[in-house]
Amino acid sequence: MNSPNLPVVSEGSRLTPGELQSVVFARAALGRRGYDEEQVRNFLQYVERELVKIFTDKAALADEVNRLRAQAASGGRGVMAPEDAHFQAVRILSQAQQTADLYVADAERYTRELAHEARLHREAILSDAKGRAEQMLEDAHRKAAAVAEAAVRTAPPQPAPAPSPGSGTLPDGERLALEREIAYLRTYSDVYRTHLRSYLEALLRNVDEWESSERASLPGGNA
Amino acid sequence: MDSQRLKASFAQVAEKGDAVALFFYSDLFVRNPHLRDMFPIGMSGQRDKLLRALGHIVSQVDDLSNLVPFLQQLGRDHRRFGIVAEHYPHVGASLLATLRHFSGTAWTDDIESDWNAAYGLVAKVMLEAADENALSSPAWWNGQVVAVERRRFDISVLRIQPDRPLPYTPGQSVALEVPSRLRHWRYYSMANAPRPDHTVDFHVRLVDGGPVSPVLVRGTQAGDRVRMGAPIGTLTLDESSPRDVLLVAGSTGLAPLKAILEQISRRAVPPRVHLFFGARSRDGLYDLEDLAKLADGFPWLTVVPAVSDEPGGHGFSSLLHSGDDGVEHGNLSDVVARRGPWDGHDAYVCGPSVMVGHTVEQLTRLGVPRDRIRLETFTDAQR
Ligand SMILES: Cc1cc2nc3c(=O)[nH]c(=O)nc-3n(C[C@H](O)[C@H](O)[C@H](O)COP(=O)(O)OP(=O)(O)OC[C@H]3O[C@@H](n4cnc5c(N)ncnc54)[C@H](O)[C@@H]3O)c2cc1C
Ligand code: HEM
Repeated sequence: MNSPNLPVVSEGSRLTPGELQSVVFARAALGRRGYDEEQVRNFLQYVERELVKIFTDKAALADEVNRLRAQAASGGRGVMAPEDAHFQAVRILSQAQQTADLYVADAERYTRELAHEARLHREAILSDAKGRAEQMLEDAHRKAAAVAEAAVRTAPPQPAPAPSPGSGTLPDGERLALEREIAYLRTYSDVYRTHLRSYLEALLRNVDEWESSERASLPGGNA
Repeated sequence: MDSQRLKASFAQVAEKGDAVALFFYSDLFVRNPHLRDMFPIGMSGQRDKLLRALGHIVSQVDDLSNLVPFLQQLGRDHRRFGIVAEHYPHVGASLLATLRHFSGTAWTDDIESDWNAAYGLVAKVMLEAADENALSSPAWWNGQVVAVERRRFDISVLRIQPDRPLPYTPGQSVALEVPSRLRHWRYYSMANAPRPDHTVDFHVRLVDGGPVSPVLVRGTQAGDRVRMGAPIGTLTLDESSPRDVLLVAGSTGLAPLKAILEQISRRAVPPRVHLFFGARSRDGLYDLEDLAKLADGFPWLTVVPAVSDEPGGHGFSSLLHSGDDGVEHGNLSDVVARRGPWDGHDAYVCGPSVMVGHTVEQLTRLGVPRDRIRLETFTDAQR
């Protein structure tokens, strides 16, 4: 290798240990010993320049550190020691987390209260309906009993066992009327029960539909 | 490692309460922002769990025969959160920083090395259990909802098809995560014995204001996806026992007991089984139709439904539910006690914790040995 490979340093970049290690000087000219003096001198000058730069930088950094230390000690704003910066970050994050927790807890409490109210509302509607249905049922019973009683009152007393149809003491006309009345009451009661049941079922369906429309209107409930 | 010194150190720090876990997580997330996504937005529940777990670990540090299985389970549980070995040193560093921060002047090099040793051991046991578990089991199962049956405005039965077989013992539960509530894992019990098609049923009751159960009960449809962790739980059938069986279920506490019932029904010679199924009101007996069908089919099975908040007998309800279906009235535990004696039985009890507590009390009073009663309550898993 006959050409020296002194580092080609562009202005502003730094000598690296790797570059230093790979320096190869040319041999001296014929009749002299050692390396090419010129090259070695150039190189030393270069190293010296580098060292001067490094010392200047080092001094500047030391000044900067002292300035910052003083600033931190005097409680001034600005850069702080890394440890303090970390604690500060931890504190900020903790506060943010607590705020988030608060929001979450509030939201949960709010939905719990809302759901609880809806549940009470639902139960109130149902128990109101139950009450009304029972009242209607009682009314119906009372009416039926009154009708039956009236029928018995208008009918003459009966001998205990009726041996065969048509042979009782009841005149045929009246007996038939009574049987018709009873049949009517029975049908009335059946129809009434059916009506009542479908009314109640419709009511339950309504409550269900009300719930599902409420669910459909919940954001994100049914993505 | 000096366990007394460790306990004293933890006790001193734990006095500061929630602030400790708050600092720990903030420190962890400031140093490792990428870990934040693994945790839920609201962290108060998480902080409680961490403190409780640490307290438990420190208090058991002399009793490795109890501590090690606890840590192994914790390590396996962490697989479904996506936790791997690389995460442990970060947590360890923040834990140490937290303990140091709250110990103040009490912190010494000795204490620091105690904690380092303890955390190293805990992490090692957790990781080894996780690694061993990884040989035989996935970190989680993906599942697809194949059917939803609304049984009441606040109770649904979901059927889920896991993407691969999910081996479990009837009576066990899995933690479940729904996409619209990421990081909110909740336990639900499988309500059936394993099937050839691997589908599992869950009975879910809506808890007012809860983040997950309202979504499951009212916002889930066929086709939706869920994730499930590995099965856990000890409410399982004592297969070696020759005794008759008493099952006591409050509301959706029925789920694990129904799975056990199914398991029993597959035996060649099933024992006699009494299943008590209780709710506050008649329409809370959401699965009675199916249970009645089972009781009709199995001569060895008796099903007793009970309601606590509705008076018996007359009026409206008897009109709507014409035909007496033998619903008993009163608190479930009293109804069970009335039908005794149960001292020749194995008892399995599941439901709200108050109901479970009362039932266990009554049964032991009636002479059922405590070790023949297995139970589960649906409040937070004990960690
Ligand atoms: C091992 C185990 C098995 C479970 N199996 C089932 C199951 O099969 N079916 C089912 O419906 N639930 C089951 N749960 C309860 C379930 O995990 C959830 O807690 C419940 O669905 C509520 O979820 P959430 O997110 O809506 O409210 P969460 O955030 O879980 O709870 C909100 C609040 O309600 C309380 N709470 C939770 N569950 C109940 C409850 N059941 N009754 C009263 N208060 C409660 C909590 O303590 C909390 O204060 C089980 C729990 C455990 C630990
Ligand atoms: C000493 C070691 C540890 C202990 C004692 C511990 C304790 C716990 C406990 C008790 C839970 C609740 C479990 C549950 O809800 O089922 C939990 C959950 C969790 N842990 Fe750990 N843990 C440890 C290590 C780690 C590590 C190293 C990570 C990695 C970042 C981690 C991340 C999590 C996450 C992401 C959750 C779930 C949070 C959620 O979504 O609810 N844990 N941990």
